[in-house]
Amino acid sequence: MSNLGHTCWLCLLWSHYQHCPIEIEWHGIWFVTGTFDYDLVVIGGGSGGLACSKEAAQLGQKVAVLDYVEPSVKGTKWGIGGTCVNVGCIPKKLMHQAALLGTALKDAQKYGWQIPGPISHDWSTMAEAVQNHVRSLNWGHRVQLQDKEVKYLNVKGIFFLFFMNCCFTQLKGNIVIATGGRPKYPTHIPGAVEHGITSDDIFWLKESPGKTLVVGASYVALECAGFLTGIGLETTVMVRSIPLRGFDQQMAGLVTDYMEAYGTKFSWRSVPKSVDKLSSGVLQVTWTDEQTGKDQRDTFDSVLWAVGRAPETKTLGLEKVGVKLNKESGKILVAADESTSVPNIYAFGDIGEGRPELTPTAIKAGKLLARRLAGRTNELMNYDNVATTVFTPLEYGCVGLSEEEAESRHGKDSIEVYHAFYKPLEFTVAERDASQCYIKVVCKRGGDQRILGLHFTGPNAGEVTQGFAMGFQCGATLTHLKETVGIHPTCAEELTKVNVSKRSGLDATVTGC
Amino acid sequence: MWAFYNGRTQARGKREGREAKSHGGYSKKKLNPMAHRLLVRRIWTLSVKDLRCLPASLSSFSTSLRSSTTPLSLLSPKRTLPRSLPHTSRREVSFNVQDHEDFTERVINSELPVLIDFHAQWCGPCKILGPRLEKAVAKQKGKVHMAKVDIDDHTDLAIEYGVSAVPTVIAMRGGDVIDQFVGIKDDEALDSFVSKLVGQ
Repeated sequence: MSNLGHTCWLCLLWSHYQHCPIEIEWHGIWFVTGTFDYDLVVIGGGSGGLACSKEAAQLGQKVAVLDYVEPSVKGTKWGIGGTCVNVGCIPKKLMHQAALLGTALKDAQKYGWQIPGPISHDWSTMAEAVQNHVRSLNWGHRVQLQDKEVKYLNVKGIFFLFFMNCCFTQLKGNIVIATGGRPKYPTHIPGAVEHGITSDDIFWLKESPGKTLVVGASYVALECAGFLTGIGLETTVMVRSIPLRGFDQQMAGLVTDYMEAYGTKFSWRSVPKSVDKLSSGVLQVTWTDEQTGKDQRDTFDSVLWAVGRAPETKTLGLEKVGVKLNKESGKILVAADESTSVPNIYAFGDIGEGRPELTPTAIKAGKLLARRLAGRTNELMNYDNVATTVFTPLEYGCVGLSEEEAESRHGKDSIEVYHAFYKPLEFTVAERDASQCYIKVVCKRGGDQRILGLHFTGPNAGEVTQGFAMGFQCGATLTHLKETVGIHPTCAEELTKVNVSKRSGLDATVTGC
Repeated sequence: MWAFYNGRTQARGKREGREAKSHGGYSKKKLNPMAHRLLVRRIWTLSVKDLRCLPASLSSFSTSLRSSTTPLSLLSPKRTLPRSLPHTSRREVSFNVQDHEDFTERVINSELPVLIDFHAQWCGPCKILGPRLEKAVAKQKGKVHMAKVDIDDHTDLAIEYGVSAVPTVIAMRGGDVIDQFVGIKDDEALDSFVSKLVGQ
C-alpha cells in the first residue's frame, strides 16, 4: 500500500467548533500534529473500539481513536468508554445491586437483624455514587490510552466522498468502525420525544424518576423496571407482544412472573398512543389495550422508552464511501473477519449486522481484529456459544440454544430437555417464594447427549452460568454434567443433579437435601 | 495504608515504584518531557489568540488540502516574543482552575510558587488531602498559591501533566515543575513539602 502522506482521507468535525457553520462536505481539518499516517483509525471509543485500539498500539501500530457522544434528546452526555461503561452494563449492574440490597435488608430481619424503622431509598445518593464510579472509569480509559500511546480525539468521524474517490488507492492504514448504537424513540407517538427518556438518561438523572412507565420488553426494559421497583418506585412495564424476544420464552415467562410477584406492574398487549404533560408536571399516557381494543390512561412521573436500539451510522456518511448497510436495521454488513464492502474499512461490535450486542464479544472481536490487521494472526472471532445473563430481579443466565431454537434445528424428537425447580437455601429462612427458580438443560437425544443449551434462573445467575459456559465451549455432554460433583450448598449444584426430563412428565421439583 | 483512585487495576506495582521515587523527591527522568511540554505550551498559548479564528479561515484551505505545508505551518506553534507577564492582582490564595488560559495565567505565569492539586469528585483520598493542603497553604500566609484542577473537567490538562492516579500534587515555580507527589501526606510532611517549594 502506498503512503498516503499528509492527505486527509477522513475529515473530522471538531465538536467544539459547533458555532461555526462548516458544511461537512467541503471542509477538512487536520490533526493538530499535522501528519496523518496512522496505521489504524478507530471510530468509536466504546468497549470494542478501545479494546481494538489498545491492542493495535501494543502491537506497535500507530493508532488514533475518535470518540464523540451526541447528547441524548434530554441533553445527557458522557465521557469515553461507550455504552457499557456510561449508560449500560456498569451503571445498570450497580443499580441492580442497589435494588438487591433493598430486598436483602427485608430478608435480614428474618435472619435476626434488628432494623429500627422502615427502610427507604434515596435516589440521589445512589445516582451520585454510580455516576462517580463511571467517571473514574472514564478517567481510567483516558490514562490507558495515554499510556499505550493511542491518540485520542473527542471528535466525530465523517467520511468524505471527495477524498475517498481520489485517494482511496493510496490508503495506508485501516479504518475500523465501532460506533455502536443508541436507544430508539418511537417518534410516531405524539409526545414521546419531548416527554420521554431512554436508558441514555436514566442512569444520569440527579433526581428520582418517581412513578415510572417502562415501555418495552427487552432486557433493557425489564432490567430497568426491575431495579426501579427494587428501590421502591411504582413501576409499570408496557409490553406489546412478548418479553425478551430472542430468548427462551419459558425462561422469559419465569422472569416476568417473578417481577410481577415482587411488585412490578405489567400492562400486557398494550400499545402506547400518546404522552401529554399535564399542568401539574406529571405525564399522562394513553394506550390501547389490544385485547379489549379500548383505550386506557394513567399518569406517571417518567416514561422510559426501551423499544430497541438503532445503530450509529447516520452521521458517518457511510453511503458516501460505499459501505453497505442492512436496509432494515441500518447496521453495517460484515463478513466473518469483520470486513465491510469497502477494502480497508472494518466494522464490529453492536454496529455489525447479526452480531450479539454484548461487551465481551466486542472486546474479543476487537482484539482479534487488531491482531489480524497487524498481521499477527489469522484467527477469526467465534460468536457461537456466547453466554449471557439478564440482570432482572430474578437473574437469568444462559448459554447455547433456547428450547425453541433447539426444537427448530433438531426436531422435538431429537432433543431431550432436563429440568428442575429448586429453592435457594437462602430463601428458606427469609420465607421467600422461589417458584420461578428453575434450571433447564437442553440436550441432543441419544448417544452422549451433547448439551445444546443451558438455562438458569436464580440468584447470581451470571456467576453460576460463567463456569458452565466453559464446559459448554468444550462440548459438554449430559454425562459430563452428571459426572461433575456439585458444591454444596449452592444453587449451581442443582445443574449437576438434573435428571427429570420434560418428556417423562414427572414432577421436576427438587426435594430435600 | 492509603489507597487511591486511578481507574486502573493493573500495573499497580509499576505505579507504586514510580511513587516511591517521587515521594519527597522527583525523578529527574520525568522532568525533561514535562518541561518540554511546558515550554511548548508557553509558546503555543502565546499564539492561541491567532488560532482561535481558525475555523472560519479554514474555508480557504479546502482546495489546498492536498498541499501539506500551508495548513501545517498554520497549526504549528509560532515562535514569537513572549509578552509581558500579566500583573497578578488576584487575592485568592486557593482557587479552582477554570480553563487552559486561566491555568497559564494564574499558574504557569504566576510570580509566586503554586501547588497544583489534581483531584476528582470520585476520589476518596482527594477529599482527605484537600483540606490538609488548604491548611498547609494557609500557613504560608500568601507566599504560595494553590490551583485546584478537577481532572474530569480538565482531563486534557491532567493528562498533559502526566497525572494517572489522584490525588496528584505538583509544585511549580516560575512555570517549572519542582516537585510532585501522589496520594495522601500527613500535615507534617505537607508542611515540609510546601516550605521547600517556598524556599524556606
